[in-house]
Amino acid sequence: MTHQPQEALVEPDAVGLGSSGDDPGEGHETVRGRGGRFTGYWLMLPSALWLALFFLVPFYSLIAMSLYDPTGSNLTGYDMTWHVANYVDTIQAYWRPLLRSFWYAAMATVACLVLGYVLAYAIAFKAGRWKNLMLVLVIAPFFTSFLLRTLSWKLILADEGWIAEGLRTLQILGEDGRLLATPFAVVAGLTYNFLPFMVLPLFASLDKIDNRLVEAAGDLYASPARAFFKVTLPLSMPGVVAGTLLTFIPAAGDFINAELLGSPNQRMIGNIIQNLFTNQGDYAAAGALSMTLMIVITVGVVFYIRRAGTEDLV
Amino acid sequence: MSLVADDDATTRDDQETSNRDLRLTALTKSYGSFTAVRSLDLVVPQGSFFALLGPSGCGKTTTLRMVAGLDTPTSGTITLGDRDITYDKPYKRPVNTVFQSYALFPHLDVSENVAFGLKRRGVKDTKAKVAEMLDLVELGGQGHKKPTQLSGGQQQRVALARALINSPEVLLLDEPLGALDLKLRRGMQIELKRIQTEVGRTFVHVTHDQEEAMTMADTVAVMNAGVIEQMGPPAALYDNPRTTFVANFLGQSNLLAGEILGPDGDAVTVSVQGTTVSIPAERSHAVGGKGWVGIRPEKVMIAEVGGEIDAPGNRFAGGVVTDVSFVGVSTQYLVRMPWGQELMVFEQNTGRRPIFAVGTPVDLSWRPEYAFLLDASQDAKAGVEDGDD
Amino acid sequence: MLRGVGGAAFLAGSAAVLPMFGTPDRRQDPADCRAPDRSSDRRLIVSNWPEYIDQPDDGYVTTMDQFMKETGIQVSYTADVNDNNEFFAKVVNQLGACEPVNRDMFMLTDWAAARTIEMGWIQPLDAAKVPNLHNNLISSLQGLGWDPDRTYSAPWQAGLTGIAYNKAKVSEVGSFSDLLTRPDLKGRVSLLTEMRDTMGFLLLKNGADPADFSDDEWGVAMEDLRRASDGGQIRAFTGNDYVQDLAAGNIVACEAWSGDVLAAGDPNIEFVVPEEGLMIWADNMLVPNQAEHQANAETWIDYYYRPDVAAKLAAWVNYICPVEGAQAEMEKIDPDMAADPLIFPDDATLAMTHSFMALDEFTMREYEGDFADVTGG
Repeated sequence: MTHQPQEALVEPDAVGLGSSGDDPGEGHETVRGRGGRFTGYWLMLPSALWLALFFLVPFYSLIAMSLYDPTGSNLTGYDMTWHVANYVDTIQAYWRPLLRSFWYAAMATVACLVLGYVLAYAIAFKAGRWKNLMLVLVIAPFFTSFLLRTLSWKLILADEGWIAEGLRTLQILGEDGRLLATPFAVVAGLTYNFLPFMVLPLFASLDKIDNRLVEAAGDLYASPARAFFKVTLPLSMPGVVAGTLLTFIPAAGDFINAELLGSPNQRMIGNIIQNLFTNQGDYAAAGALSMTLMIVITVGVVFYIRRAGTEDLV
Repeated sequence: MSLVADDDATTRDDQETSNRDLRLTALTKSYGSFTAVRSLDLVVPQGSFFALLGPSGCGKTTTLRMVAGLDTPTSGTITLGDRDITYDKPYKRPVNTVFQSYALFPHLDVSENVAFGLKRRGVKDTKAKVAEMLDLVELGGQGHKKPTQLSGGQQQRVALARALINSPEVLLLDEPLGALDLKLRRGMQIELKRIQTEVGRTFVHVTHDQEEAMTMADTVAVMNAGVIEQMGPPAALYDNPRTTFVANFLGQSNLLAGEILGPDGDAVTVSVQGTTVSIPAERSHAVGGKGWVGIRPEKVMIAEVGGEIDAPGNRFAGGVVTDVSFVGVSTQYLVRMPWGQELMVFEQNTGRRPIFAVGTPVDLSWRPEYAFLLDASQDAKAGVEDGDD
Repeated sequence: MLRGVGGAAFLAGSAAVLPMFGTPDRRQDPADCRAPDRSSDRRLIVSNWPEYIDQPDDGYVTTMDQFMKETGIQVSYTADVNDNNEFFAKVVNQLGACEPVNRDMFMLTDWAAARTIEMGWIQPLDAAKVPNLHNNLISSLQGLGWDPDRTYSAPWQAGLTGIAYNKAKVSEVGSFSDLLTRPDLKGRVSLLTEMRDTMGFLLLKNGADPADFSDDEWGVAMEDLRRASDGGQIRAFTGNDYVQDLAAGNIVACEAWSGDVLAAGDPNIEFVVPEEGLMIWADNMLVPNQAEHQANAETWIDYYYRPDVAAKLAAWVNYICPVEGAQAEMEKIDPDMAADPLIFPDDATLAMTHSFMALDEFTMREYEGDFADVTGG
């Protein structure tokens, strides 16, 4: 095959010249006219503007807020004075709820992973013609509001509800034991609310796995369990990474579950930020705390993705 | 190496039961009302290169999967020597498969792919064996690469190495050369044959390519619609096909309608369009009054009307050339006979005579010992494939 | 190299842009933000809390319909005040910039009303136009620190905060002392997330006056609360979802609002006046800057301070009626309701009510922060 040049200039007077090695029908043609080389940038403009408006501006606003002079107020006005001490002050005051939030989010993510993987595996490999129906059922809770779903857990885990009663009869829960207003209730609520975020990426990843690879593993003396651990699980890693991220990140900042299902001792960083914004009107502290949360999560995520190293997998 | 007798009957009492032959007995696979494999009987001798040949949908892949353990038979048995493996799980059988799509594990590199089977069986030190096997398939030094970094031919060799390294009693190959281009395929055919001879294991090769089967295999079984039509060495099948399907599927055949007149010593006389031809008894497979007289195109001699023909035999006059294809090595003619049928004639371009032009009146002839007689009840078009390369 | 320069330029640009994200001082002077009065066009726009006014029914003429008929003023009434902070956020930008909010009147709870008045966003009422207000307002709502002469505000309805308990499950809970220390209530008590109500009681319990307390007194009250919470006495701090919890049996006694108990109508749930006292609060009518129909608004206020109108309204809305003389009128409509202490508290009860003092911005921030630490935000 002869080497064709990357682009061929279309010259109007070349048409009648006969074969010059370039067949006009194939090959790569660009029109070098005035402004032509900037078409790409023009096309990018709408999305760039959208990004600037809905991401950059709020983001800058938050950064500025975290550096406000705390002696200002929403009423008398805030000045951005590079007040980095906000970060130090808020971390000193709230490091415990911050760690607690990460801990709850981690537990909820692990629970979601275990439950979600089993569910996703069943849907991907065992569901047959029920596959689509089951996927719809996984998403169905989203048709109701987040708040209502969490409130319904209040009913389910109520002190006089059948679960709490049952656990008391089985002696698992003490005489005075309760399920609500405990870390268990908060983590259970988080797990329930974020399970679809884990199931869907896992399903997508598992569904993509060529079943013939699993057959090949069987042909090569791997029992079904070994075939799962050596072939299916490694190939589903992209889904695992995506699912864990999609679960952990929002769960760490959640406040509704702690507010409705927990007691003051389960307060999460989301609750604190919300209170700082609405009741206390302390925007400087709220901004600094939000930025801290964002930075810690971003750093963690970068390390996590690096370590999971799934770029090689298609 | 013992060849299985040239018949498609069952071999029930085989005096060589101590051998590790692969034996399929009355093997059947049905899916509801559809039967993919119909009471198959087959013996694959130990150490032979066996080809299972047939068009798409004939059940050959289903048969292979049942031998591998990936599908369960509806009825029948599969035995390896004296061990019944019909219902054994795939990971319990000493059988490995080279898949059509290679099925290489994308998350492992070549060495890990090849070592996979050994590791699952608990072999600790696999480095030496892996290196040896990679050298065998001529991929030495490529062990660190990922499958996606290899070409199709290289991937196929990795798949082969991965299967062979486990020293299976039977190696199954499911159309492994299908995805390769012509040149590479030819090369790989020779490679596979070489490796099989060197390693000495039983290879069962499933393919729809009759040239491939004939090139590589010691024994070929032609399969159609769930049954084996004929089985034997490639030459025997080609020379003396027993059914119209085999006659048309392996190479090409001219089939002429004929009236059977009766036996004549160790031959059978048949009247074909006014000419009486004699066909040796062992090449006659027809029952009843009518039959198809078959002759391969390359066995048909063509000459000008009244001209001298090299090896005189049955002669048919009155043909007219209707098509000429120059194929470099040979010229392929289509000759319309007086009774309307177009016969194919392949003539090697020896250069002795110029090529006939379209419309030239010609005579055809062939030696009787090359003709064969097939049952008239069979479809003369069975096994004819368009665009078969 | 180009990328390095580009990156540095981007960072420098960002840093330069950040100071632009400050917020302005939003204080205003009501005298400067007065719109010309267009009350002659006979219109009035009101924003109120939901379920706070009588609704039309077969043959029933609502107080609003009666008002429109008597005065000829067309009222555009929207129930879009759901939360003090939420509504505040809705109007802060316009009122902070001396711009109209397209309303002639809205209702806010005491502390939020105090804030808007302090910011200079509320127009003073013409006392001559609201004689009923000044004559008929009940005494416990007079003379409050943040608007002692009712120059800017007029209570719409008032409410009491006290104790509610489930008498089918537990014996009478008569005081906050009981609530926070009785062992049989441990883990089955809830308090409100409304800082001013809860801390009001804690201050009372520790001998301070919520209308005028010192920082030290706050500290003592806070410590008391913390002790009760850490000790496991308090199960949770709630908004008005305590009603369901009380009915479900998750809690047996709690700090509660009088209107909720009345509305629940559950014979087992009783509202009691705590020994320490009651907290009283009101939702107040306010006329914002740049309102165009202040005269009509004043007419509305004066109308609703007529005892007969107030009685009609109180019969529908189950809160405390702030109008003196309405009880007598109620005898004619519904004698049972006239006798209900939760709508017309007797003088003895009213003598026990307290309000919470107004806080400046930074004290509020500090106190809300202390409170949030204990309540879990």
